[in-house]
Amino acid sequence: MPKTVERPDLQETVSLDRPWITIVWDDPVNLMSYVAYVFRSYFGVTAEEAERLMLQVHNTGRAVVATGNREAMERHVEAMHGYGLWATLARADS
Amino acid sequence: MQFEPSAEGRVSAHFELVEVGLLRLATSQLVELLEAADAHAPGPTADPALKRLLPDAYRGDPEAAAEFRRFTAGDLLDRKVLNAKVVLATLGEEPLDPISDEPDEALLHDSPDDAPLAIVLDPPDVQSWLRTLTDLRLTLAERLDIGPDGRPRRDDDEAPFLRDVYEWFGMVQESLVYAIDV
Repeated sequence: MPKTVERPDLQETVSLDRPWITIVWDDPVNLMSYVAYVFRSYFGVTAEEAERLMLQVHNTGRAVVATGNREAMERHVEAMHGYGLWATLARADS
Repeated sequence: MQFEPSAEGRVSAHFELVEVGLLRLATSQLVELLEAADAHAPGPTADPALKRLLPDAYRGDPEAAAEFRRFTAGDLLDRKVLNAKVVLATLGEEPLDPISDEPDEALLHDSPDDAPLAIVLDPPDVQSWLRTLTDLRLTLAERLDIGPDGRPRRDDDEAPFLRDVYEWFGMVQESLVYAIDV
């Protein structure tokens, strides 16, 4: 009879899996229409969500556009730099 | 210049020859800037525009930012050069140097030869154009010392021209975004 695996610490699993965020920062150069387009076409969000994120960047100076593991966030940041957006990644709790 | 959707996902616009020349010149200069960049060691002498084209991926963690740069800057620069070269290719053949002693003559007079040029872009071309226009605007913004409020702080003789170019690139880009967003 197989031994029962001890109940994994779910809290720990989740925090290891999703402790990073991708942040897009406001800059005075990129057009609002272009930033919304990038969010829509790269992250595949709806036009409304893209608009909401773009306005959040514009009005508050930054928006968290993705959450996940570090490697995935680095890929997103690299993609954003490819589009010419100013993006960084950080720990979710930072 | 106004991009309109056309058949099979393409977009098209008519550009005056002066506009084509301007875009070609600025894009060629961007290629030079990118090709001269040392991706792995953007030291204090590096062109400040490069700091914005390849920003730090980590704030307040220079070590992690340098590590990220080591792994991504080369590819990012290569892709930016490639996009700029796509833009140059879609602008058509560079005109031969005029034999005339007054090379500016052609720009000063409207003649039948100055008919606008039709530019047709397929979807991959559009992606290259959008990214290159962004890189051009980021570079010009650095040259114009554009502040957080979006206003240029540079005010020498060259500034008004650069500002016109900067704003025109923005119009081209916005027109492209609207043309593909139907």
